[in-house]
Amino acid sequence: MTQDENKEGVKGMVNPGRYGIERIAYLLMRLTGLGLLGYFIAHIYETSNILRGRMGWDDFLAMTQTTEGHIFLVLVIGMCVFHTGNGIRIMMGHGGVGVGKPARPDYPYDPASQNYRHKIGIYSSIVLAAVAMMYGMAVMFGE
Amino acid sequence: MKESTIMKIHYGTALASVGLVAVHILMRLTTGFADSLSYENVLANYQSIPYVVMLELILILLAVHGFNGLRVILLELKQGRVYEKAVSYGCVVAMIVLIGYGSRTIIMTNMGMV
Repeated sequence: MTQDENKEGVKGMVNPGRYGIERIAYLLMRLTGLGLLGYFIAHIYETSNILRGRMGWDDFLAMTQTTEGHIFLVLVIGMCVFHTGNGIRIMMGHGGVGVGKPARPDYPYDPASQNYRHKIGIYSSIVLAAVAMMYGMAVMFGE
Repeated sequence: MKESTIMKIHYGTALASVGLVAVHILMRLTTGFADSLSYENVLANYQSIPYVVMLELILILLAVHGFNGLRVILLELKQGRVYEKAVSYGCVVAMIVLIGYGSRTIIMTNMGMV
């Protein structure tokens, strides 16, 4: 197999299988990152409507203050919290925190860095994101 | 710039923006969520100098972090001298354009040019 045939490209990047929860966290980190960048750009455009005066601002706000707009914001909250929680886990991992002590590689060659501490970090980020989404829903739909 | 330096900037901008975005969101909860988005409230926010400084910082930090993240994702997908340069310069240009556009809103609203 040549090097080109072995390249999976986007398909390889978005395949969450084969490598457990760490691979799912990798995929979610990229998806939430792209989603948040998209939201950030849209938010900059959205807020620029204040330059159109009260009418422009109120018109644009009316478009976002809908049930669909609130559901979209709840998703943004979830993406933001997961990206933050998992990002802190990754930073700590890169800094050597929670990756285990160096040891002789023995069969079955479990990677020391993919341990229960980091798995807890990933699951905690998912749970925190869910809690934040529920809080966001209570604030936005509770009014 | 060395990739290790870029990653330090990536992590630094992430940590700084987490704190500032938390303050930005809490400002929406000081009054009711819908009230905080009223024209008068938003205009008052933009005319407060400390808040405007914070908004500008968030804009710069998130633009740097976001477009570097996009650069990393694109470089993971494909490599090559020309491609890598195109992606890196493209992300820097997009980042500058976004910061410029956001700063325009902040400065014009703060100066009452609405």
